[in-house]
Amino acid sequence: MSSSPSHTSDAAHGAAEGDDKIQAFQDFLAHHVMDSHHWELPFLDIHTPAFITVHGIMLLIGTAFLCLLFGVVYKRKDDVPRGMTNLLESFIIFVRDEISIANLGEEDGRKFTPFFCSMFFFVLMLNLMGLIPLFSTATSNLAVTAALSMITLGAIISMGIARHGALGFLKSFAPPGVPLAVLVILYPIEILGTFIKAFALTIRLFANMLAGHIVIFSILGMVLLFGALVALPAALLATAIYFLEIFVAFLQAYIFVLLSSMFIGASLHPEH
Amino acid sequence: MELPLGGLIALAAALVTWGAGLGISKIGASAMDGIARQPEAANNIRGTMIIACALIEGVAFFCAVIALIAVFVK
Repeated sequence: MSSSPSHTSDAAHGAAEGDDKIQAFQDFLAHHVMDSHHWELPFLDIHTPAFITVHGIMLLIGTAFLCLLFGVVYKRKDDVPRGMTNLLESFIIFVRDEISIANLGEEDGRKFTPFFCSMFFFVLMLNLMGLIPLFSTATSNLAVTAALSMITLGAIISMGIARHGALGFLKSFAPPGVPLAVLVILYPIEILGTFIKAFALTIRLFANMLAGHIVIFSILGMVLLFGALVALPAALLATAIYFLEIFVAFLQAYIFVLLSSMFIGASLHPEH
Repeated sequence: MELPLGGLIALAAALVTWGAGLGISKIGASAMDGIARQPEAANNIRGTMIIACALIEGVAFFCAVIALIAVFVK
């Protein structure tokens, strides 16, 4: 009986220590995944002003890098593209042929290629920047992905109205050959569906990029929970997930632009 | 008995993963059947498969986001 008080205090002490570890783990995860006003670099801590966060800075850096890439590195004057131009051109051809023309048709597809290329390279750049150490993923921020899919939603609505007129656009929500009684239920669902498509686009990109980084940092965070013994396996496993993340970065940029082009194509050419 | 919230969230995430895994496995199996029958249509089938997988994945990620909100937002 004499051992019981010390036993309970040991247990309480152990539980408190466990709570501390879990707290440290959660702080580690939040610090690396969440947006903040504090950007840590090796010899320099940057406190960003109130109007911009770290993800905002990532957007600016990504934009600047893309401008540099296509303004300076990309040489369209060459007869035979070489080096970086060749690589970029293969992506552009892919977006033009497999995404834009495949979903919008030959004529509209060519007109929309610059739009989809901008979107593809912007999302891809932000996704890949998240995989560079010290940088953070702007696309794992709900505001960024929401803004991107708002552009798609705006394009769906404005292009539909520009092509078919306001009345024709509203009419295009009603599938042909459906009886009126069903239409009363179906029509609101179809209109709601347009907004749900954009919302799903937002969540898909956001959750994909966030989930990948949470997995990587959770595996690395196991060192905080279980001690230095798991450091080597955790690092190896995290590296493997990291390579998967490179693939996911490309895939999600592709999916985002592909679904955008499908929705815009459906709004331009309904009843297909 | 008091049910731990974290355990319930983990159970919910596991159920969603199960469902999404079933769905994606069905797509993958059907796509392989299709490609085996018609190898010349492989490119079209692959593209459609990726889109369908992305749609299922989207649903799974809805639940992942809800689980994350449940964990982190107290």
